[in-house]
Amino acid sequence: MGGAKVTKGRWRAKEPSKVHCTERYEVAYVIGFIEATISGILMGGLYGFIAVSLSLIFGVAKIVNFAHGALFMVAMFLVYWILVLLKVDPYLSSLIAAGFLFFFGYFFQRLFIEPILRREKETAPLTVILLTSGLMMIIENVALLLFGADYRTVKTGYTGKVWEIAGLFIAQPRMIGFVLSLVLILLLELYLRKTNLGRAIRATSQDREAARLMGIDDYRVYKITFGVGGTMLGFAAAFLVPFYFVHPAVGELFVLKSFVIVVLGGLGSITGAFLAGIIVGIIESLGAQFINSALVESLIFIIFIGCLVVKPTGLLGKQRE
Amino acid sequence: MKTIGIILLTFFCVFYYGLGLTYAQQEVKVGVLIPLSGGLAVIGENLQMAHDFAVKEINEAGGIKSLNGAKIKLIYADTRGDSKIGMSEAERLILREGVVAIMGAFQSSVSYTSTEVSEKYQVPYLVPNSLMDAITERGLKYTFRVERKGSLWAKDQIDFIADMGKATGKSARTIGVVYESTDMGQAIAKGIRKWAPEKGLTIGLDEGYPPKTSDMTPVVLKMKRANLDVVILNSYTSDAILLIRTIADQRVNPIAFLGSSSGYSDPSFIKEVGKLAEYFFDLTEWTTDLKHSPLVQQKNAAYKKWNKDNRDFNGGAAFCYASTYILYEALEKAASYDPKKIRDAFATIKITKGPAMMIPWTPIEFDAEGQAKGARMLVVQYRDGQRRSVWPAEIASNKPVWPVPKWEERK
Repeated sequence: MGGAKVTKGRWRAKEPSKVHCTERYEVAYVIGFIEATISGILMGGLYGFIAVSLSLIFGVAKIVNFAHGALFMVAMFLVYWILVLLKVDPYLSSLIAAGFLFFFGYFFQRLFIEPILRREKETAPLTVILLTSGLMMIIENVALLLFGADYRTVKTGYTGKVWEIAGLFIAQPRMIGFVLSLVLILLLELYLRKTNLGRAIRATSQDREAARLMGIDDYRVYKITFGVGGTMLGFAAAFLVPFYFVHPAVGELFVLKSFVIVVLGGLGSITGAFLAGIIVGIIESLGAQFINSALVESLIFIIFIGCLVVKPTGLLGKQRE
Repeated sequence: MKTIGIILLTFFCVFYYGLGLTYAQQEVKVGVLIPLSGGLAVIGENLQMAHDFAVKEINEAGGIKSLNGAKIKLIYADTRGDSKIGMSEAERLILREGVVAIMGAFQSSVSYTSTEVSEKYQVPYLVPNSLMDAITERGLKYTFRVERKGSLWAKDQIDFIADMGKATGKSARTIGVVYESTDMGQAIAKGIRKWAPEKGLTIGLDEGYPPKTSDMTPVVLKMKRANLDVVILNSYTSDAILLIRTIADQRVNPIAFLGSSSGYSDPSFIKEVGKLAEYFFDLTEWTTDLKHSPLVQQKNAAYKKWNKDNRDFNGGAAFCYASTYILYEALEKAASYDPKKIRDAFATIKITKGPAMMIPWTPIEFDAEGQAKGARMLVVQYRDGQRRSVWPAEIASNKPVWPVPKWEERK
């Protein structure tokens, strides 16, 4: 009881000084939190965008692709070298990266994963996990051999440029990346809903066996899905390069987060993954304003587990029989 | 016939052994443990060059005079950055190679374990660059360390901040410490918490961020809101690059930023962030522009001419070079091949001249723990992409810019 009294006394003693400076601080705090939210949304949008491509692969083809980060790194290096050697702007070369990554993804699936799928005849063979982790190591080490362990950054006209809006600083490349991601996500969603191939992808995602019985060539759908996933990854890489660094291990920073986001958003749901990305971004940014950043990572996982307990299919995932 | 054969063989053996002994008399074998393969190989090779250069100089100048001009022979052992391999290699150096002393092992974790091996076999071990406090705090009799203890780095940072306040009249009150929450970062933060109050500084932000953080904006926004006078940072290379870019984006304007070596001293940091690093302060053990001794420039020029890449000494290499000379002085003093006598020479040595004075303090001597007395750190400031020494004033060659210009005012 004595202890409680002391705490109460201290609290009272603090009161007057608090009242004195509340007003001035309140404004600064509110601005700080708005700033943190905006930055969380911008970065979260990119997380979401990276996760969308994983969602296609992981959600549709049920392939646990640990090489996702390595593919992302390949795309970043591609954009980097195009910029350094040919002086092509990253937003323009994103088209090249996306095209290249489509074929990379397509043949990645064709050469490495399809043989296993054909042999094992299971929906989610465990061997694939080992295979993709192995491929990740090979790709990363080849990159290390070719490019060394240097951190590389690029200089573009908008690197380090900010828009100042009512006392808030918004980095230009982050904003541009976010807006373009949003547009591409909408296009992808349209593609999946309105085209035959898109419908085939969604059908295979829902039930591979049934889709095959309906005459869908599921292996072809997998290859194309992997390719489209690669395309999205190529765009994401190009949007990140202007304000990030390129390094053979850069993919590792994003890959675990992407898996969390995909599951949180609901397997195979594009919009879900994007939203979940933004949510993770906001938790990360806003959470760090209240607690130590070292703890924020666990906060993300606590919320993640909490969400799964309440809704095991993820935010926008559909219940399956 | 058989008897003659045996006699001849015995004779040959004795002769061979004797030959071996006389041969051994002409050189002093010293083991060097450094990482020469794996991720740290680049750093290891750089240190190896510095050791080699010192030995070349010593041997060309006539070797160890008190041992009839015996030459120093360095035997390198690759630790691969692994503390267990460090131990087995130390054992091999002592038992197989018969070294009389060991230098190394760059990484704290490797020095920590391998010094125990040398203690067991009673062979002196000189540590040029490991900062973990515990290395000299276990009561080991055969371990000597030149580098400043890691926990005191924070004290030097706080002293620097206080000194700058006095010198310029623009003193800091609230400081923040932002660090990657691994061993080293936490050690620095712990030190800051301990030393800051002694100089009347309050800690307005104490923020550890996890390794592999993909976005620094949350941390930087927190830093901005805390309204700090000085921000002390401890990062590896990738997070250092992200942090400084985000700080510039968000226009965080304290009086100064102060790094804790590591990522901020990595050549690729300055290469990649370029102008953003301008005016950034960093703690370091050594720079090429120190003026406490003309040796610094002379030896650096000679080294640059000798090595094939035209490389300057960096802090680690300069300490390895100077440590080789500390070992040389100890051998001269001991006048013996007996590791125990060499150990006693280390314990009582007091060096005030010679190339060992590359190290920025005099005299060089070791306390009862085996820690170099008077060891201290320096502060450099990035100016035009160069690391220029600015503190302590008596040995620094440049005036610090304090407070640093605001981001909005920079071009």
